[in-house]
Amino acid sequence: MRIVTYTCPDCGTVVAGNVLERNRTLKCPGLGCETVLRFSDLPAEDREHVLSNLETYRME
Amino acid sequence: MKGVVLAGGTGSRLRPITHTGPKQLVPVANKPVIEYAIDDLVEAGITEIGVVLGNKGRQEIQNYLGDGSDFGVEITYIVQGEPLGLAHAVGCAKDFVGDDSFVVYLGDDLMREGIVEFVDDFDPDEYAAGIGLQQVDEPERYGIVEVEDPPESGEGGEAVDTADVGDVVGLVEKPDDPPSDLALIGIYVFTPAIFEQIERLEPSWRGELEITEAIQGLIDDGDRIQSHVVHGWWKDTGKPEDVIHANRLVLDDIAGDVRGTVEDGATVTGRLDLGEGSTIESGATVRGPVSIGRNTTIEAGTYVGPYTSIGDDCAIGEVHIESSVVIGESTIRCDRRIVDSVIGRHATIRTNTDKQPTGERLVIGRNSSLEL
Repeated sequence: MRIVTYTCPDCGTVVAGNVLERNRTLKCPGLGCETVLRFSDLPAEDREHVLSNLETYRME
Repeated sequence: MKGVVLAGGTGSRLRPITHTGPKQLVPVANKPVIEYAIDDLVEAGITEIGVVLGNKGRQEIQNYLGDGSDFGVEITYIVQGEPLGLAHAVGCAKDFVGDDSFVVYLGDDLMREGIVEFVDDFDPDEYAAGIGLQQVDEPERYGIVEVEDPPESGEGGEAVDTADVGDVVGLVEKPDDPPSDLALIGIYVFTPAIFEQIERLEPSWRGELEITEAIQGLIDDGDRIQSHVVHGWWKDTGKPEDVIHANRLVLDDIAGDVRGTVEDGATVTGRLDLGEGSTIESGATVRGPVSIGRNTTIEAGTYVGPYTSIGDDCAIGEVHIESSVVIGESTIRCDRRIVDSVIGRHATIRTNTDKQPTGERLVIGRNSSLEL
């Protein structure tokens, strides 16, 4: 399974693509970081991969 | 080399303690278990550490570790989110790791001997991965490896020289017919080759990406996997009895460090760690090895027995307590014997003999466990 991640450009915190998909817009979870991260920040191919494998990326 | 500490998971087996905090911050001998992982990595010369966080306890772990500077390391946080398995957690660290080899250390594990030898022995030009192993009595309960030269059963579980077992040639989870008694202990060294294997994985029957399958993929592709049998104890602190046992193992090795006050008339024997601002009052008895945090008072008439850790900001009176962990900010004043117990933060245990009708008065939350 390809694992999609996104690295905050300001603080370097890494966020898994499944987290971005679930939250769509979130404050970067990095310590003291005020950057807003969005699912749309991922490249289109990565967004498509996460959306195509939603069942895999979620533990309901 | 970099380090990756896995600090996700739900801590379900440690409830109710983990209803209000992550399992990786549960203290053993008054030090959060994840700090033992950090210490081992630093000792091995690894100071760039990625900490993989789940959904639970994320803020608490970040608040405790900060940017790592208090521990002499540089921490990058990696938010895995859902608990999709060890391989998913490792896979999330791909960009952090880059082209380096890296140690993976489960954040609720601790081990006596550290990982210096494990790291020093690993040659990334020769091996794609290394696996920490230990001989166990009941291999059917563990992830087990098949090795080139399995050890013969020893007496009393004595340690086996690494050179005796050869490379890892297979892995199997909880086998009915174990090929060896060498169990995976949650310590690995990987080269970036593991990421290609992780990409090939499909979720297992439990919906997780299994690191054992990724390692098996390396083996199937002809890569060598180094075995490293650890000497000394190793402990996974997933259940309350494991926390108590780990506490005992760590306290067995303390040297004693008294920074608080032991009043005249207090009786202290054995080794004692006593934090700043703490007091053992006259008339109290402490029999070590015992660890007491900061600003805690052991009141007159109290007995604190061996293998007990009491955290910061506690008031302990009248009670006989031993082989237990009191995490912190609690008041225990009762004429009872407390043994083999884990008591979470802000707990109150007090005598009620002055109340009528007589009987136990309890306020118990979800997943609590009492043996009266």
